[in-house]
Amino acid sequence: MAKNKVRKTFLEPLGKNNPVFVQILGICSTLAVTNKLQNTMVMTLGVLFTTALSSWTISLMRNHIPSRIRMMVETMVIATFVIIVDIVLKAFYPEMWKQLGPYVGLIITNCIVMGRVEAFALQNKPMLSLVDGLASGLGYAYVLLAIAFVRELLGTGSLWGYRILGSWWTNWSIMIMPPGGFFVLAILIWIIRETIMKEASHA
Amino acid sequence: MSVQKTFYKDRIYPLLFMFLITFFCILLTAGIHLATQDRANANELSFTRKAVLDAAGITYVNTTAGIEEAYLKRVEEADGYFTTSGSDGKRFIIPLEGPGLWGTISIMVGFEEDLQTFTGVAIVSQNETPGLGARIEEPWFTDQFRGKRPPFTLVEEGTATASNEVDAITGATRTSEYFRNLANQAADAAKRIVRGE
Repeated sequence: MAKNKVRKTFLEPLGKNNPVFVQILGICSTLAVTNKLQNTMVMTLGVLFTTALSSWTISLMRNHIPSRIRMMVETMVIATFVIIVDIVLKAFYPEMWKQLGPYVGLIITNCIVMGRVEAFALQNKPMLSLVDGLASGLGYAYVLLAIAFVRELLGTGSLWGYRILGSWWTNWSIMIMPPGGFFVLAILIWIIRETIMKEASHA
Repeated sequence: MSVQKTFYKDRIYPLLFMFLITFFCILLTAGIHLATQDRANANELSFTRKAVLDAAGITYVNTTAGIEEAYLKRVEEADGYFTTSGSDGKRFIIPLEGPGLWGTISIMVGFEEDLQTFTGVAIVSQNETPGLGARIEEPWFTDQFRGKRPPFTLVEEGTATASNEVDAITGATRTSEYFRNLANQAADAAKRIVRGE
């Protein structure tokens, strides 16, 4: 029973309750950082770290947080983890830190983090909340990486900065600009909802 | 009694709780910040030094240690600019800032002794569109200024031949124009900074 619950908690954000293509959360960063695989990877790791640890921390304190100020407490905890990510990036990966610019700091306002804390961590035990945060982060990560794969490949003919397509390839510049993010995300949501999710709801 | 209890529960406890949480969070982040500050400052310094070396056209090993070695050996710091001397004559490197399409572009420009001929250009920071305007950081773009004199004219990507022509970036016309404007101001700025004219 307990094992089932952990399994369910872990699998739901990856599939039928995915934060990006089902709940449509965290779209701002989805559109902003997905034009290069490398940046996307670092960004998703930052979000993964933040969702997992904030959920865990808030869940640890859940019986002591006065409900009137719970959002202030949540924001404070989330901001702390995000600033840790920012400081560590600045010290150890300065090039990446420069490229991501303000987006690392903006993880604080990523609805997925706050959403999982509010909807899950406040009612569940620390370990289960950690699993939920981790899974939500992963659910966010793989969708973003998929989008970044398409955008970087079509937009620059490269993947992870390495040239994949030959010189015959004409870069689709629109793909690495903001509109490209909207196109790829919308097409992805459409495909998933029309195929996989439709079958699942019939079954 | 019960009034006091609710007063504590509704007013005092939330205040104390928030105070404690804030205290611990700030303690943690401040601690990590202080622990990594030296490293972050070193990165920043190394980045500026690298830009100076690039602008002066000096080759170096691209590691923190390699940059430091080359910089300390070749570069001298003056008031608001840098100089290098070597077998190929004295060079002046000045920092320069100007508007880009989205934000400020800041660069280092290296000059030969005449303060006219470029020895190189290096980007210190920029916020141009990733994949388009941000390509001003790519070596093929910055390298093409080497040995040329302003005022520059932009031509279509891949067609620059004359000594005052530079390739614009396809899909980033505006950023290219801003960058050209910045480069065109560089010689005047250099005379102002170096000779006080």
